[in-house]
Amino acid sequence: MFTFENVYKIMNLGSAVESMPKIRLDKLIKRYGAVQVLHGIDLEMDEDEFTVLVGPSGCGKSTTLRMIAGLESVSDGEIYINDKPVSHLEPKDRGLAMVFQDYALYPHMDVARNISFALRLQKRPKAEIDAKVREVAATVGLSEFLHRKPGALSGGQRQRVAMARALAKDSDIFLFDEPLSNLDAKLRGQMRAELGVMRQNVHKNMIYVTHDQIEAMTLADRIVVMHGGYIQQQGKPEELFKRPANKFVAGFLGSPPMNFLDAELKSDGDQLFAAGDGFKLAVPSELAATLGETAGAVTLGIRPSDLNYDPDAADDVALDLRVTVSEYIGAQSVLMCACGGASVTVELKSETPIALGETLRFAVRPEGIHLFDRKTEKAL
Amino acid sequence: MEHDRQNPAFYALLVALIFMAVGPIFLMFVNSFKLDVDIIGGTSGLLFLPTIQNYETALCDILWYEPDHIDFCSLKFGGAFINSLIIALISTFLTLVIGCMAAYALVRFRFMGRDTASLTTLMVRMVPPAVLLVPVFGLWNNEFCLDRDGLIGGWIRDTFGGRGDVCLAGTHSGIILVYVAMNLPFVIWILQSFIVQVPRSLEEAARVDGAGPFQVFFRVVLPLIKPGLAAAAIFTFRIAWNEYLLASALSDRNTKTVPILIVNNMSEFNVEWGVIMATGMLLAIPPIIFTLFASRQIITGMTAGAVKG
Repeated sequence: MFTFENVYKIMNLGSAVESMPKIRLDKLIKRYGAVQVLHGIDLEMDEDEFTVLVGPSGCGKSTTLRMIAGLESVSDGEIYINDKPVSHLEPKDRGLAMVFQDYALYPHMDVARNISFALRLQKRPKAEIDAKVREVAATVGLSEFLHRKPGALSGGQRQRVAMARALAKDSDIFLFDEPLSNLDAKLRGQMRAELGVMRQNVHKNMIYVTHDQIEAMTLADRIVVMHGGYIQQQGKPEELFKRPANKFVAGFLGSPPMNFLDAELKSDGDQLFAAGDGFKLAVPSELAATLGETAGAVTLGIRPSDLNYDPDAADDVALDLRVTVSEYIGAQSVLMCACGGASVTVELKSETPIALGETLRFAVRPEGIHLFDRKTEKAL
Repeated sequence: MEHDRQNPAFYALLVALIFMAVGPIFLMFVNSFKLDVDIIGGTSGLLFLPTIQNYETALCDILWYEPDHIDFCSLKFGGAFINSLIIALISTFLTLVIGCMAAYALVRFRFMGRDTASLTTLMVRMVPPAVLLVPVFGLWNNEFCLDRDGLIGGWIRDTFGGRGDVCLAGTHSGIILVYVAMNLPFVIWILQSFIVQVPRSLEEAARVDGAGPFQVFFRVVLPLIKPGLAAAAIFTFRIAWNEYLLASALSDRNTKTVPILIVNNMSEFNVEWGVIMATGMLLAIPPIIFTLFASRQIITGMTAGAVKG
């Protein structure tokens, strides 16, 4: 099609629009033989943005990242970096740095040589390389380990070497492929915090792939939730958390995950109610106003954090829950409860011992009510 | 518990096996210091006057002095030894260079006929070398020749002398070529298993770091498969060093290797046992040195590995 934008593209002059995104994926498609794993990914990442691709295994997030890196071929669509199409370029010509899930440190080189590998390939002067290695090693706290082989380092230290190797390259774009998933829980938390600090100091484009929604929530400027080769929703973390676009995003973000209950929308006078097996909740008027005439079968979603123990709450803002399992985890207890035939998880900040089988009343925060179409699973 | 006390028969078996393995070498070693009279005379045992006469005879063409007991140095052991070294070292080197690249391609690249190529290398390995002998002898003598009146053939003829056309038969190159072809399948096969173990993410990391395909291979993959290269080198060198059948057909007077020389030293009328034993001992030295050298690579390679803890 002849448009001016295409002409600009062909002439490689950049689009006429101002403030172009740094990285742009345009209808990216990946096929392995007859199997299509990515169904047209459209994504724009602004200058210096920390983007997290998150989703369950097999959702295509790693494939997307590897296509940006140039490690997987592009079946269809195009990747633009600084508005230049790059999908035909070798990884080395795309000017990016990558941290791998298994660190991918060269076992036969010591830490210093690992960090300087890219610089040595560029044939930079030795003095410059040495200075850079020392600088980067100091940044990640590896100065004492420069002459150790990766085999003699702990998991966390290897992780740092991998980071340092990426940092040493001075690329504009950093790719992280589940960099923390090989660490134990405590170290992961620590490294996540360190990454956050690094994020404050290094103003570069970063694309981070993870299946851990906590990493996604804490690190991201922009979260991209993927599922089944499609982007489900993208935006700021709190945006996705507060206004999930569909049931998948709602259930994926947040821990413990959102509770889902089958309900029917019923009008009673002026008030709209979501009624189900053992409950009848008033739908807040702001939400009801946006619903229009879509009354009928819905899925009601309530996060555990939006349920507060309140024995005096009114019937139309509360759920009566029968405790079936109680998990005491220190500061709070996580209770698995039954509400009619459905199961509901709540958090209880209380030292009071909970008897199994006891029925407790929980008030629902009005802004905590999410409604989803039961067929399309889209948020209403 | 049962491992604490072994059946005495087990030890007897061990001793018998050790004797079978070490006995001949020991016998060869002892006899190499005896005169033929002592060896054949049956004055067995360890009571004899050791002499280095056999070694002097064997090495007569490279000794700096003329031993008293020989009038004419008929045995060209030194020359054969150098031939053996040239042929074994060069063929080992070529086999490794070609082998590691072929193995890498077979493991990592997808191309048409890859599986066929992979399978064929293993099948070729199963063909006994003797089968090759007759066709190769014919080809080397009659087909793969450069016309002596031709440009290159003429130049070689002028430079190195000789009669007739310039053929592969009787040259070092001819033997090296056969050895490379003979050892390549096994080397490819053994190196494939080493290359498979190199994590793909290492190569991907190197590619992102800015390495081209050759840099990935030489700076990342090759150092990591050093143990495999060493094992393959030991194997290849040993075969090339010991090979008799093909070398006996393809070598000439100037290019014959040590195994050929030793056998030729047995004439119909006179078997010089002492000299044969001495040349046998000398023949055993280079592979031992080579193996010690290469096996050190295997051990350092094994400890240097460990990508994940």
